[in-house]
Amino acid sequence: MTERPNFDDYFDAIVVGAGLAGSAAALTMAQQDLEVLLIERGNYPGAKNVFGGTMYTPRIRELTGEGFEDAPVERHLGTKRFGLLSTEDETAMSIKPGQWQESPHNDTYTVLRGNFDEWFADQAIEAGATLITETTVTDLVREGESIVGVETDRPDGTIHAPMVVLAEGGNSLVSEAADLKETDPPEKVAIGVKEVRKYDRETIEERFGLGEDDGAAYHYFGEGACGGGVGGGFIYTNKRTLAIGVAYTISDAIEDDRKPDELLSDFKEHPAVAPLVKGGRVVEYSAKSIPEGGASSVPELAHDGAVIIGDAASLLLNNGIHLEGTNMAVESGYLAGNAIVEAIHAGRTDAAALQSYPEELESSYVMENLQNYDWFSDFAHDEKQFLFQQLPKALTEAELEFFKQDYEPKETHAKRAKNMLLRAAGGWTGAAKKAWKYRKLLS
Amino acid sequence: MSAHPKTPEIERPSIEDRLYANKYTDHEDSHLGVFEDETCLDCETYDCVSVCPANVWRNEGDEDGVPLIAYENCLECGSCRWACPYDNVIWENPPNGTGMTYRYG
Ligand SMILES: Cc1cc2nc3c(=O)[nH]c(=O)nc-3n(C[C@H](O)[C@H](O)[C@H](O)COP(=O)(O)OP(=O)(O)OC[C@H]3O[C@@H](n4cnc5c(N)ncnc54)[C@H](O)[C@@H]3O)c2cc1C
Ligand code: SF4
Ligand code: SF4
Repeated sequence: MTERPNFDDYFDAIVVGAGLAGSAAALTMAQQDLEVLLIERGNYPGAKNVFGGTMYTPRIRELTGEGFEDAPVERHLGTKRFGLLSTEDETAMSIKPGQWQESPHNDTYTVLRGNFDEWFADQAIEAGATLITETTVTDLVREGESIVGVETDRPDGTIHAPMVVLAEGGNSLVSEAADLKETDPPEKVAIGVKEVRKYDRETIEERFGLGEDDGAAYHYFGEGACGGGVGGGFIYTNKRTLAIGVAYTISDAIEDDRKPDELLSDFKEHPAVAPLVKGGRVVEYSAKSIPEGGASSVPELAHDGAVIIGDAASLLLNNGIHLEGTNMAVESGYLAGNAIVEAIHAGRTDAAALQSYPEELESSYVMENLQNYDWFSDFAHDEKQFLFQQLPKALTEAELEFFKQDYEPKETHAKRAKNMLLRAAGGWTGAAKKAWKYRKLLS
Repeated sequence: MSAHPKTPEIERPSIEDRLYANKYTDHEDSHLGVFEDETCLDCETYDCVSVCPANVWRNEGDEDGVPLIAYENCLECGSCRWACPYDNVIWENPPNGTGMTYRYG
């Protein structure tokens, strides 16, 4: 990088991290004429970012307007499939609603973060924000209790500004070092490991039954996906690549005899998965953490001179059926950006002046979802043996019985299959208790 | 060997083969370390080693020692930081854009 103008005290707000949350906040503030500095540690926005995944785009589409037509998406999500894997068998359900095939495609797309995040940061730059890359924020600057700027790893690295937006993602070193957030225990953080493999476009479309533009998300649970752990495996279809990965809590990774990369290889070798991923060549291997603590891990969001947004604030939902963080990262960036604009116009940056951010977030779907599913992570850990090991096995055994071809009538097979399932659930009382416990999963 | 005789053979790449596909820029000083050697000497579980998907943390050959840290392999997931039961892992972001650069993500 060449000579840089003196950034000190020039900006209204400094955003730490040009991920989805950071760029959403920068774009929101720049659109309302604040001077915004966006600082990214990677070579470019997206260079350090990894997800599954599917991007959920309602707010991004609204914020970027016509620009969204040029967003680098891979495929719109047309098919979602859930597979329960025992070590050798699969029971699956697949959905392909007609509505998803029509624009705006339920605002769900497979993307590659390498180019999507760069595009999204570009929208903030076009709206007037300034981006510097290859710059790591190493600490916050305080005056008394107030946060008044950041330290970076650049020469003359201190930059002062009235507001700092912490959008550093799940590995939130700066927020934790500044005591704005506690370090989560290993049960509340997941590790995701992933291979991106390249294939012919036709191969992907044939294997997954896709047209030119639609894509598929295959989610897998059970022992065959990630051992006895709370988590799962996934395959997402891009245009010419597949994203193949596993994600499970760090405490489960500690318990499992296999290392995460071995678990990934085992998942790829599962008889139901192997035919989908065979061949091709690996073009990238990546790993990233996922903050899964839910509502109880969300820290204080507004401080004197600073706010925390996105994964850094644990605004991520994983309840087994949904893994969503992209939408909540953007929504929190948008709401925080608006709150900062309001506070700056009032000539203030203290925590009290920023309250509309936590308040708006509280009444939005973000906190609503997190609070609704706050029980999930503890529940999944308590029930993991049943959910991820016993249930997939019992289901397969019952299915084999139900469809069995021999000389006995169907009714006998059906009865036996039902009894097998009932036994797995712990008899009538056990099943009733489980049904009561599990009712929340679908409500 | 795959689990089922009819299952297609799947490539089981080594960590090195997997990392070979990635773009990496070296930085001279390790961004990882341990605060107290003593803690690692007393540690029985080596959770840092168990969770690392890139074979950065290694206790090969020295069952009771301080793990070796091959920081150049690091995927920057942060898992070792949460895994260590004694908070003994030093973890910094690699400086000035060095370390892994993901092109796909
Ligand atoms: C394996 C995996 C699969 C997932 N799948 C999905 C999915 O399918 N759908 C979904 O909606 N969500 C998914 N998620 C979650 C989703 O990726 C996150 O919720 C989302 O990326 C959070 O955005 P963010 O901007 O808060 O953080 P990030 O995307 O992590 O961005 C943080 C940014 O800050 C930068 N940064 C960090 N520290 C510093 C610093 N000190 N100085 C300067 N810059 C810094 C980083 O380089 C990065 O650009 C998945 C996550 C993982 C790990
Ligand atoms: S870093 Fe932590 S987990 Fe690893 S050997 Fe040392 S004390 Fe044990
Ligand atoms: S951050 Fe991840 S890849 Fe790097 S050393 Fe720690 S566990 Fe290994």
